[in-house]
Amino acid sequence: MDTAQIPQLPQTSPWQQHWQTRRDPFVDECLRARQSLLADLKDPAGAQARVLDDLIDIGAASLHWKEKGYDVIAADPGSFRSVLPIMRYNDFVDEIDRETRTKGGILSCSPVLRWLKTSGTTGTPKRVPYTLHWLLTYRIPAMKAMWGTCLEHHPEILAHPWATLDTQTVREDVYDFVHGVEHQAISNRHPQLNSRDWNPPWYESPWFGPDAPTSHAGRMYHRVRNLVGKDLHYISAINPSTLVSLRDLIAEHGAELVRDLREGTLYGKPWTDPDERAAAHLERTLAKAEFSLVDVWPSLTLYSCWLSASAELYRPRLDAVLPGVAKLPFMSCGTEGVTTIPVDDTLESQPLAVSQAYFEFVPAEVPLGALLDAGEKVGTLLYDEVEEGRDYHLIMSQGNGLYRLWTGDIYRVDRIEDGTPWIHFTHRDGVFHSFTGEKITEGQVTQAIRQGLAAGGLETGLYMCGPRWDELPSYTVVVEVPEPTDELDRELSGAIDRELSVINIEYASKRDSGRLAGLRVRTVAQGAIAAYVESRRQQGNATQYKYKPFQQDVDFVGALVSD
Amino acid sequence: MIETIRPPQNIRREIIDVPCGDTRLALHVWRPERIKGAVFYFHGLQSHAGWLWEVGPRFADNDIAFFVLDRRGSGISPGPRGEIPEAGTVLDDYAQAAAFVRAMIGDTVPLSLFGHCLGGSFMAALMCHEGFTTSYDAAVFCSSWLGRMHATLDADTRQTIASDRGEQLWDAGLRAADFTDETKYQHFIDHDDLAVRQLTRRSRAVLLDLEQRYLSGGPTTAPVPAATFVSGITDPIVDLEAAQSVFQELVAGRGALMRFPTDRHYLFYTDVSDDLVDWTSTYTLLQGVNRGV
Repeated sequence: MDTAQIPQLPQTSPWQQHWQTRRDPFVDECLRARQSLLADLKDPAGAQARVLDDLIDIGAASLHWKEKGYDVIAADPGSFRSVLPIMRYNDFVDEIDRETRTKGGILSCSPVLRWLKTSGTTGTPKRVPYTLHWLLTYRIPAMKAMWGTCLEHHPEILAHPWATLDTQTVREDVYDFVHGVEHQAISNRHPQLNSRDWNPPWYESPWFGPDAPTSHAGRMYHRVRNLVGKDLHYISAINPSTLVSLRDLIAEHGAELVRDLREGTLYGKPWTDPDERAAAHLERTLAKAEFSLVDVWPSLTLYSCWLSASAELYRPRLDAVLPGVAKLPFMSCGTEGVTTIPVDDTLESQPLAVSQAYFEFVPAEVPLGALLDAGEKVGTLLYDEVEEGRDYHLIMSQGNGLYRLWTGDIYRVDRIEDGTPWIHFTHRDGVFHSFTGEKITEGQVTQAIRQGLAAGGLETGLYMCGPRWDELPSYTVVVEVPEPTDELDRELSGAIDRELSVINIEYASKRDSGRLAGLRVRTVAQGAIAAYVESRRQQGNATQYKYKPFQQDVDFVGALVSD
Repeated sequence: MIETIRPPQNIRREIIDVPCGDTRLALHVWRPERIKGAVFYFHGLQSHAGWLWEVGPRFADNDIAFFVLDRRGSGISPGPRGEIPEAGTVLDDYAQAAAFVRAMIGDTVPLSLFGHCLGGSFMAALMCHEGFTTSYDAAVFCSSWLGRMHATLDADTRQTIASDRGEQLWDAGLRAADFTDETKYQHFIDHDDLAVRQLTRRSRAVLLDLEQRYLSGGPTTAPVPAATFVSGITDPIVDLEAAQSVFQELVAGRGALMRFPTDRHYLFYTDVSDDLVDWTSTYTLLQGVNRGV
């Protein structure tokens, strides 16, 4: 064989060879996925019809559809909305239980490869089926289309193997199983399920692999240690708090990092060649009181994360941490599916991902939950029936078998372009706040307060809860007790914070990683909250004012508690 | 043949409600985009189709449609747990399901029968059953102790079992550690609430009846086109030598023997699983080659 014809890879480590081998195919796959998305956005009717056909094809022969008689939809696709009911996750639980035993064939005709774990409203983590069909047809193409947008605008992010720090996804070993099948967060892309699974060039990089520490701080340190001193161009995150905490971590562990760089160590153990230049640079950077990530990496050209809704409140902080760096928004998505995918650098709005799911909308002012509880049929609007400037409940049917799922998310339609709505997430229906993705529901906080009080032999009455914005945000709760004391405040603060961490795993994660401060409880005498509510009622519209345990701010604290 | 230069395919997983006698049973199928071969799997005593969530997709990705019938009382099929119906009933169920599979895949697609452990005993009895008329192209017995009760129990004991109509439960004494070394699978086996671990005493009489049918009725009603007995190098549950001897009598001495490098019983929960699926896939596909003879 003529060896001259074989492309010669430089003498590099296996992870760098993987990067070199995957780079061009990855760019090509991402740009093609983006082109495909752009074409669908210009023909939303065609895209939605195609998705609907696919959902019927993957659903009609499922056991659930056959048992319920839903398979009649196959002969009349137009009956999709009239035959299938609007569902909440809990409505699927019995079928999901069956599917955990069969691993497919119950809700859709595709094998379930893993179960996706996410917070449930009752404290039990959800199990969202991650099927082969969903992976191949929807989830991976969505990731690629989003990265296609990044690559289209910033090709330098794949200039070399150290150019991109991806914190969106991780690779962690999984130890939780549901009847033999892995139960893990969607952001954990480990292990690779097949060669069409997510496989970016950095998949084998040392700061990305399963050998990195699993704790937030440990993993962050590992990433930084690998990339400080390199020409990093891009930091990709989902939550803005990740970017802020990255800077804070460098500040906190600066001396350790400098030592590791100078001595060629990792956590003080021999690891690689010493890098005096990088050590000296970091040392000078750390000496600045308010250093930014640009001081650490002058080569930074781009970052991305969620930048709308409550995440928008982080923008001033991000501008301080990443001054002058271009930004792209992260897609609007959850474990249950993708809703929007960015196609340009518009921060506040993205096109509805018409190729990702079959979407329906209900005006936000419609009390959807109450109507569904009452067993009423609720009419829905399609993508071409929504109006600019209005807010809607989102209902989506995904290719994993979860049809007509009321997500609980409220979206605002910003504009219509080529027939496709551009929308943004505004808030959760019934959710008062989410600083950094923890999505605390009223039910969760109520449960945490009830359990925290019960442990001290106290009954739960009226309470109020609000978000306190600070360098480290937190929640403040005011509860009524027979005898308010500072000591009781402290006891209940710890107890309710612990209960909430058990109930909401995202909250626990944000607490563990230091992105949220502990919940603070202030006790007031019984009747105080009711009196406050009454006083507010008299100030405003008396008939429409009602007690809301969840507040948009902590103004109520000052009115209720006298320090 | 298997197309080797292509990415993984979008295989389907369906559960078909198949009419069998007076009931309907769950026939599970993992199906490739284009079916080039098929395997009909006979599950063992405690397992069911839900155990094969990794095996089914790999077969299908190899262009093999993989079928598993949950017997009455097993998996998600109806029927009392721990109860095996009369041998004639269960064999008729299998015959109907196999005929359904043949009709679904068409006459020209090669079809292998694959019996695991006790499933091999059901399969051997079916191969000697007059009501079974579906054409098949290969038979694979996997870790099956064919003729076990006749080999290990004396005539008096067998007579006692055969006449026992009791409903008391008999514990099969299966241990997950004999099946696999891997914690993940051991945990699954130990916590699988669909698994059958005990049988009624009268069900043991059925198992004896099944053995009787192929021990006295063999060789099979029709010549077996190709047959192989596969197992680990050793097996903690099965006397391989005794089992293989019965196997050879069943297939008129034409059987091949194959061993995979493991000492556990449930090959699909060991490191050899992928190799076993791939070997069975090619074995099945090759039966479909038109040799012009």
